[in-house]
Amino acid sequence: MIFLSLTTETGIGFKNFIYFFSTPYLTQALVRSLILASFSTLIAGFISWPLAYFVVFCVKEKWRPLFLLAILAPFWTSFTIRAFSWQLVLSDNGVISWLIEKATGSSVALGILYTMNASIFGLALFGSMLCTFTLYGALVSIDKKLVEAASTLGARPHQIFRDIILPLGLPGWLAGIVLSFIVCIGDYAVPTLLGGGLKPVLAQIMLSILKGTYDLSQAATIATILAVTVIICASPLMFFRLFNRRRALA
Amino acid sequence: MRNLIVNRPVFILLTAFFCVALSIIYLPILVMIIFSFNSGRYQTLPFREPTFEWYVNLVSDSSFVDSFFTSLFMASLASIAATALGFLAAYAFSKAKIPFYSLFFGLILSPLVIPIILIGIGIRLQIVSVGIEPALWLVLVGQTLYVLPLAVINLKNRIDKIPKSIEEAGISLGSGRLHLIVFILVPICAPTIFATILLTFTFSFDEFVIAYFLTNFEITLPIRIWTSLVTGFEPKINAAGSAVFLFSLILGFIAQFILLFKQSEKQNGIEPRET
Repeated sequence: MIFLSLTTETGIGFKNFIYFFSTPYLTQALVRSLILASFSTLIAGFISWPLAYFVVFCVKEKWRPLFLLAILAPFWTSFTIRAFSWQLVLSDNGVISWLIEKATGSSVALGILYTMNASIFGLALFGSMLCTFTLYGALVSIDKKLVEAASTLGARPHQIFRDIILPLGLPGWLAGIVLSFIVCIGDYAVPTLLGGGLKPVLAQIMLSILKGTYDLSQAATIATILAVTVIICASPLMFFRLFNRRRALA
Repeated sequence: MRNLIVNRPVFILLTAFFCVALSIIYLPILVMIIFSFNSGRYQTLPFREPTFEWYVNLVSDSSFVDSFFTSLFMASLASIAATALGFLAAYAFSKAKIPFYSLFFGLILSPLVIPIILIGIGIRLQIVSVGIEPALWLVLVGQTLYVLPLAVINLKNRIDKIPKSIEEAGISLGSGRLHLIVFILVPICAPTIFATILLTFTFSFDEFVIAYFLTNFEITLPIRIWTSLVTGFEPKINAAGSAVFLFSLILGFIAQFILLFKQSEKQNGIEPRET
């Protein structure tokens, strides 16, 4: 598929790519995509640790799947609908500003909706579900005996965390980070509904090209650039994972 | 194990964090459901009289109903196709010796690590260059591809757990390969197969990009909702959103419940039978 978008390109030459990188509107969108995806993934990564930690180590084994499901359940439902429901909460006459108005008596314009921050927030929330899921998988499979042995030998909880849980959970966490980065950079719904259309990211531009100007080679160029970006950004993490696994085996 | 890793203050902190996170996740959805019963034309508080008006509106709007049935139809076909193909693939990956195993397995799972928008645009460019018009059956192909990795992973996990002795017993009692799959493996995996169908159904039911890129005129429910959100707000979207949310939630929950609970109960793959 991606190969095809490349071949459509080479037939015409690199003119489209030159056009892409010489158009500030498009390069800015690329930068915006990158910033958006990396920030939300970073936040998601941080949130996922305490969440997965709670589900794995604070909940009785029998109830773990239930708690995990509670976090993951919205994940099964439409992306669009969840993005939209945040609109209701964040908008200037939405629930939060209404609550503030009731509490302080003065009306305030929240000014969050249709900004980059709103997009980051929405995507981070989604990414944290993914990260929690993969991290959960890693943490759950940690051998109890390791922890017990460490504890018998006098390890404190923070030492157990540093020397056992962190290294063993890291591969799962990284997988989640990669996945959530990929989802975030390719998303169109959150940037459109929460970030607004004025400062589009690449995915939004692709969407509007296909349904608007229908410049297919342009769309192919953007798709290729997006794909290359994803590969470049994901490969260090993938490499690290492979490296890590090999070290663990040795 | 809990006391060894998590001491009291950390436990309280984690619990509090979890509760806050849960409420943040569910707050907007709750708000949407509340708004779907609000009689006001605009999405502002305070809450006016409760009403079912938007739901009635929704059901009587033929564009919504039609798109719902289109989605239902597509998702059913895609989920069954993906589960059937996924079962065969999972069986192959689990039992057969395949050259370049990890390469092929990676290829099957690759839709997971490609942004879905690239899948959609890729297929679109492909069909245009070959000269096929965008149509509904292409969406079916695209969505089957999109949910296939899910099916393969779930089913492979299950098939991996079936002890080899069962198959050997079947073969020594004179069962052929096909007979073995149909009458022994499928019944053993039945709960997982059911869960996989449900899960892939929800994903394909809610899928937007592929359907959006691969059709011109046929409309699925996510497309209908999206159009309404982008072009101009209709209050019945709250109702539609709530309905779709609950629908997917219930299906997904049942599926995950089966996968997480039932499977761990029967690790060895043999159910005791009273005969």
